Amino acid sequence: MSRVSRTVLTGIFSAALVAGSASAYADKGQWLHYGGNDHSNLRYSELKQINTRNVKRLKVAWMHSLGSLETQESTPLVVGDTMYVTTSTGPRFVFALDAKTGKTKWAHQPEMPNDYFATVCCGLDNRGVAYADGKVFFGRLDAKLVALDAETGKKLWTTTVENYRNGHAITSPPLVYKNLVVTGIAGGEYGIRGFVAAYDQETGEEVWKTYTIPGPGEPGNETWKGDSWKTGAASTWGIGSYDPKLNTVYWSTSNAGPWGGHTRSVDSSDFGNLTNLWTASQLAFDADTGAIKWGYQWTPNDVWDYDGINEAVLYDLKIGGKTVPALMHADRNGFFYVLNRATGELISADQFVTVNWATHVDLETGRPVETANNEKRPQLGKWARNVCPNLIGGKNWSPMAFNPNTGLVYMPVFNMCMDIANKEEEYTPGRFYLASEFNLDMAGATGKHLAEFMAWDPVKKEIAWTIEEDLPFVGGAMTTAGGLVFYGNQHGMLYALNAKTGKVLWEFDVGTGIIQSPMTYSIDGKQYVAVVAGRSKGPPSFFGQIGQKVIDASPEGGILVVFEL
Amino acid sequence: MKQFSKLSAPAIMLAAGLFCTSSGVLAEDMVNPYAGREDVVEEGGSLLNQYCSHCHGPWAVQGERPRDLRRLNLRYGDYAMSTFYTTVQEGRPPKGMPPWKGILEDDVIWKIYTFLQTVQVED
Repeated sequence: MSRVSRTVLTGIFSAALVAGSASAYADKGQWLHYGGNDHSNLRYSELKQINTRNVKRLKVAWMHSLGSLETQESTPLVVGDTMYVTTSTGPRFVFALDAKTGKTKWAHQPEMPNDYFATVCCGLDNRGVAYADGKVFFGRLDAKLVALDAETGKKLWTTTVENYRNGHAITSPPLVYKNLVVTGIAGGEYGIRGFVAAYDQETGEEVWKTYTIPGPGEPGNETWKGDSWKTGAASTWGIGSYDPKLNTVYWSTSNAGPWGGHTRSVDSSDFGNLTNLWTASQLAFDADTGAIKWGYQWTPNDVWDYDGINEAVLYDLKIGGKTVPALMHADRNGFFYVLNRATGELISADQFVTVNWATHVDLETGRPVETANNEKRPQLGKWARNVCPNLIGGKNWSPMAFNPNTGLVYMPVFNMCMDIANKEEEYTPGRFYLASEFNLDMAGATGKHLAEFMAWDPVKKEIAWTIEEDLPFVGGAMTTAGGLVFYGNQHGMLYALNAKTGKVLWEFDVGTGIIQSPMTYSIDGKQYVAVVAGRSKGPPSFFGQIGQKVIDASPEGGILVVFEL
Repeated sequence: MKQFSKLSAPAIMLAAGLFCTSSGVLAEDMVNPYAGREDVVEEGGSLLNQYCSHCHGPWAVQGERPRDLRRLNLRYGDYAMSTFYTTVQEGRPPKGMPPWKGILEDDVIWKIYTFLQTVQVED
């Protein structure tokens, strides 16, 4: 990385955004957004000082305690010579660190009401900050959005996005572009009505807010039974993507709420147009107005908690001799999708894990074809047995990475099935609203392993290589121009692999489970790799004996470890 | 609960001195109407799976020690029942346990408790 002052750097960064080119990296040594150096969520870095030949010499450069023991899901950003990283518990801290030494520049500790713990479904996490123009933005589990001065840590504004007491929360960092900071919302297990909302970076005032479930009179509202749209979920707790050329923001939506589909549609596979738009869907929004440009539903009338929020990875793929502006998405429902991100057209949908709730996705209609006779669809009082994947999905939120040099997607996947049934339940604000009962304490669909770390070819639509993992909740992926892929697991092992072959080239035991992807950056011409560790604490509780194994695999923790050659 | 438990007099005095639930029900007044009823155990487990398993695990099986409901008796001894009932009613919001008063009826709470009594562990 060429040494330039922060002011110049910030200037270049802003100019790049205004120019609107996703590939025009201000400086490839930085990590400017949650999903990498631009808004496309590739988790790919052009850095190659650390490569397949020398990665075996990787050693610890510095460490930093995160001061919190809940699940650590943050991806640090590096802007100039500063690293911005959040901790779990809401977050408990936002740290600005000297990215070369780990020395603390400032620490911000949000003041939050502690009763928000009771309205967060799946772990007291926080996935990091967004940075733009000298400001750091982050969302909190009490559903507030905050802007800090990146230089001093001073709070600039706080905006209440929603009321946390009825189940709203913010878990992922917002998306920043132009003058906007855009956030999604969690709460799909509490009967919320999902939305994506944009705020002015300077003032925190709302610029637009688009509900993911259409209201009465809007197209799509007719896909709901009665008033069920009001509590239909379609939350947006994952990360957004942005294509500056198309001026389009991409966000995908959660499961329908409650899980028990008899409450909001027909209680069978023959549900006609009661599909519950836009739950378990990909949505494309006009970046300036928030208007929905197009939508594609992964799982119509979802009853399996096939929460569709997994990240959209944007890259122009060469398919059948043509360059296609692709959006790649590995869904919980077990299908890997490639869409045309300009039009929303479905290009391909292929099983990347064992799938038995549907036989295939019909490329003409775009709809999955469910297994006959409601065999794998839970109904009121009727169990569907051995449904694969289970509700944690073929893949969950831990992010995948795409390497343009290999053309492969790298991702943590699950090899698990479930029994599930619908039950009667009344909606109560701020309480879990599932109308469902399930058993996840079941053996894998194939073999004894419960997870894999997989390389998938999105053009050939097949597995390139895969590594079997004994325990679920394998961490996210990061890949580099050095021909490497990095990932960790719940044993606390961090691995560097050859991106072409999957061969393990280096490993390190950080002492507590890793669920988020590592990241990489460069300062003064030297490349570093950073990982945030602290094993999963919430979701394993769903899994009975299997979850107990995850929790026994390593103690809870909170540590940031940075490596160098 | 209206019924009186069959605790011994000293136990009642001890309990009365230490426990009074928010609803003003004395701990010694508490009785599980389903105590020992094997026919409600499975239903109680199913209700636990529906309302509690996202934190406390299916059939109360999960790995986080602080919220392990199989350790109620071990942890709270003679006060297991009153602690259970009061905690379900009032919650422990700062620790993530929501109050269920007015949402889960006593009938449901006691069926869950009856199930839990079948899965208690020794140390």
